[in-house]
Amino acid sequence: MQLQEKMSAFDALGISVLAISYDEPDALKDFQDAYGITYTLLSDPDSKVIRDYGILNTLIAEDDHPWFGIPFPGTYVTDSQGTITHKFFENNLVLRVGPEELLRAVDGDALSEYIGNPVSDTADAEPKVFLEGEHLAVGVLQHLVCQINVPQGRHLYADPAPQGMIPFTLTLDAQSKLVIRELIRPASEAHTMAGTGEVIQVNHGRVELRLPITANAAITSTTEPTMLDLSGEVSWQTCDEDVCDVPRRSRFAFNVPIEGAVVPEFMTKPGNPKVRAMDGMNHFKKMSSRRQS
Amino acid sequence: MTIEIETRGEKTAHGWRDVDGFIGPMQPGFGPRTDPKGAFPTGPDVGEQLPAFSCLDVLGNPFDYAHDAKPTIMLFFRSAVW
Repeated sequence: MQLQEKMSAFDALGISVLAISYDEPDALKDFQDAYGITYTLLSDPDSKVIRDYGILNTLIAEDDHPWFGIPFPGTYVTDSQGTITHKFFENNLVLRVGPEELLRAVDGDALSEYIGNPVSDTADAEPKVFLEGEHLAVGVLQHLVCQINVPQGRHLYADPAPQGMIPFTLTLDAQSKLVIRELIRPASEAHTMAGTGEVIQVNHGRVELRLPITANAAITSTTEPTMLDLSGEVSWQTCDEDVCDVPRRSRFAFNVPIEGAVVPEFMTKPGNPKVRAMDGMNHFKKMSSRRQS
Repeated sequence: MTIEIETRGEKTAHGWRDVDGFIGPMQPGFGPRTDPKGAFPTGPDVGEQLPAFSCLDVLGNPFDYAHDAKPTIMLFFRSAVW
């Protein structure tokens, strides 16, 4: 559903979006109608495409119905020549790449225009932290972004920093309603100190840290809009050839809306209102029956 | 490639907590939560052409994918049903 929310951006950029699964066509049609899906849904009921791509989940036994036949889920992004430029796969099969990261993969320059995120205008090495996207959703990886503009002639230390110095770092306070992945740092540059000849790893200009996060399934017991508090700390230190500023630490705190998971009816307790709008039980029985025959 | 199954997890009051802290209804290591531990196959690589393929559309009609001069996002997902 998060992908659908960004379809206007994908359409405006002329990007084809295809999504394929081992579901029968009528199940996908039901899903399409229930959620107003406008991207192309494709059916691979015998998992032939999945096998041909080499991503069949072979950890599942062939007689383990109806699970056998699913892929290791993932996403490929191509350029206009059809060459794969990015691919996104996760060991944790619940997690998936968010639409913002897909937009950035196709056209990074267009991202801020279409997702409405603030573009950093900080000019004095003051970091800015924001969520890339309007809300968090269960299982969808989105980036908590920290941007800083390093004044000309100065640099930040990459990680690890020289002894006694601190690298540019973003930490998020522990939060049971979040799953937090490893911090993504930009590539650093080798810099030779004029005085000592020491070679250190630094960053210049606009520097960006990205922390992939997703909402945890534990938050899904309500249909009411929920806000999640995000808080943490940024630490950094800027230097020029001669002098380093004192290390800085800055706390941040803001909240973001979270969207609870919509779950299949048979996987949840009776009375949970957040079940899929499609007739999933009927399709599940049909899917199981066909695979057992 | 030998692929291992990720089975680490614990049962909580809200469901199964997996190795990443994610809480869900299914036990890690079984059925739809048969997650790989370590390296696993991810198909064609960056720099290769996205392979052409044939399948069905939502009406059951044949669908043939071949590159059409547009950037493409090709998403393989587990199921719309569950």
